[in-house]
Amino acid sequence: MFDARVWLLWALTTLVAASSTRNPLYVVVLLLTTTVVGGTCATAGSRRAPLSPIRFAMIAVPLSAIFNGLTVHFGDTVLFHLPDWIPLLGGAITLEALTFGALNGLTLTVIFDAFSVFNQATPVRDIIKLTPRAFHEGGVVLSIALTFIPQTTRSLRRIREAQAVRGHRVRGIRDWLPIVVPLLVSGLERAMGLAEAMVARGYGAVVDEGQSLRTQGLLIAGLLALLAGWLTYLFSAVWRVAALALIIGGAATIGLAIWLTGRAVKHTVYRARRWTYGDSLALLGCALTLAVALTQRGPLYYSPYPQLTLPPFNPLIGLGLLGLLVPAVVGVAREDLEPLDQKMEKRNEAEAEPTDG
Amino acid sequence: MRRLVAGTIYVLSGALGILAFVYPFFVPASESLRHGLAHSQDAPLMTAALVGLSVIALLVELQGRSLSAKTVAMLGVLVAVTSVLRFLEVAFPIPGGFSPIFAPIIIAGYVFGARFGFLMGTFTLLASGLITGGVGPWLPYQMFTAGWAGLTAGWLRQIAEWMRREVGKSRLASYVSRLTPGDSRSDVAVLCVFGFIWGLLYGAIMNIYFWPFAVGSAEQTWSPGIGLGETLIRYGIFYSVTSLAWDLARGAGNVALLLVLGTPMIKALERFRRRFQFQVNKQTTGIAEVKTDV
Repeated sequence: MFDARVWLLWALTTLVAASSTRNPLYVVVLLLTTTVVGGTCATAGSRRAPLSPIRFAMIAVPLSAIFNGLTVHFGDTVLFHLPDWIPLLGGAITLEALTFGALNGLTLTVIFDAFSVFNQATPVRDIIKLTPRAFHEGGVVLSIALTFIPQTTRSLRRIREAQAVRGHRVRGIRDWLPIVVPLLVSGLERAMGLAEAMVARGYGAVVDEGQSLRTQGLLIAGLLALLAGWLTYLFSAVWRVAALALIIGGAATIGLAIWLTGRAVKHTVYRARRWTYGDSLALLGCALTLAVALTQRGPLYYSPYPQLTLPPFNPLIGLGLLGLLVPAVVGVAREDLEPLDQKMEKRNEAEAEPTDG
Repeated sequence: MRRLVAGTIYVLSGALGILAFVYPFFVPASESLRHGLAHSQDAPLMTAALVGLSVIALLVELQGRSLSAKTVAMLGVLVAVTSVLRFLEVAFPIPGGFSPIFAPIIIAGYVFGARFGFLMGTFTLLASGLITGGVGPWLPYQMFTAGWAGLTAGWLRQIAEWMRREVGKSRLASYVSRLTPGDSRSDVAVLCVFGFIWGLLYGAIMNIYFWPFAVGSAEQTWSPGIGLGETLIRYGIFYSVTSLAWDLARGAGNVALLLVLGTPMIKALERFRRRFQFQVNKQTTGIAEVKTDV
């Protein structure tokens, strides 16, 4: 639906915005936004998160509230006292500490929800396409792994069924042995076949040693500059500008090494995805929210300490945070504008698609 | 020469990553107080950037020497098998922070070497994150830490072999010689200790990336200018209260898994390591070079 880069930026923007505030009103705005975008943009066949955001919130919010309430004995509204002889936990349990803990849990839920949406809305192949060309071999490893996962899952099922027929039941960790070892050996046999096929097709036949030495030199220079810059930045206020220059220079040198390595890799795309107006609009929405999160740190700040008060709310800031809603708006608008026959075609395709996981 | 250069890159990227994790422990008091809040707001971004850059640099170096087809195929398949093991974690009730993915990473690093171990740890966390919807800001830190578990597992074997050669005929040497590779039971004994330590270390390292910015009780949170000793005490309390029980389950789980699966897995991987050392005859195929190591 959107470019994978747009989704990544969207998730990162939500992370920055959520980290900038503990004001419950803004946090709720962000939570509603991510929920609406998730409901609108996640496709039917997308990967599901191991834990739904609602279940995550049901665990994170109370746990965080209890932990903070028991360990932070600060705030004016004292609910009750725990005996002082209990180490760490002894002292006043306050409403403010419980509230702040709950807000932390809610913020974590927003971040978790945003990345759940990213995972659901972006196909794995699009995420792999984000891999820079310099990491071409890493991309190949990842592609092989992701291709073999369904096969390995099927193998696991077959092995478990075969062992179950023999009367084997998984009760403890020892019972994994007759499952894991055959799974490993059959996987390695497949790797053997794959490696032979790759060698036969000439994979890795040409090794450019000269370029590797140059890249290594650049990496060492970049890492040294980063290390020296970071140490200077931490320990010397006088040389702070020079330290920042060293850090930027180091990062740029590593970037150059990546670019030079990537240049040697030929990259072809069978069907390139076009950048759309929707992508640009979503990008603008993220830029708006990012600008608000970075420039309005003061108004976004809220603390329930020392006494719980009603949090302030600036409608303009709330509106700025709604920039993250653009993917949902564009998604709904696209769906409305799409001709009926195309919708039917898509639905038929989705129904005909095998759902082997 | 090439080994020296590669070693320098490992050391530098490792130092950078570790520094990014632990710098709050070493920031001088006056410096922290002088810069106060402004610096504390820059720090998470800077830390994330440094960890990211150190992982990237190490990955470029490890890939730069061209992974052979055998390494790519074996790595891909082992990552797939280990990622599928993560489904067992979901399917069966497993206590605390125990995850079945660490034992295969440690064993693979031990059998195939540090480079393979690092790549195995990094890609396993990435691939399993992709299939289980676990991509998030925590992923680079998980990749870095699991990669280091695999990397150090490779070093562990080298250290054991070096000790057997160098320590001589002392009592320690006779003890060490019983714990050297070759006898898979002694391998498992070494790996169980190593797996338990990494079970705790993984949690301790993953905590450090957010702990300096956590808000909470003064006895458990870091604040600028408290000094190294006080920082360690506070982190110790925080870790004991929030993570120790969770991480002990991971460490104990690693030990249990390595005890049960260690010997057969090492034997299987050793057998395939030998089988993977096939060589292409360049005179008959015209292929320039195929490396024999995995």
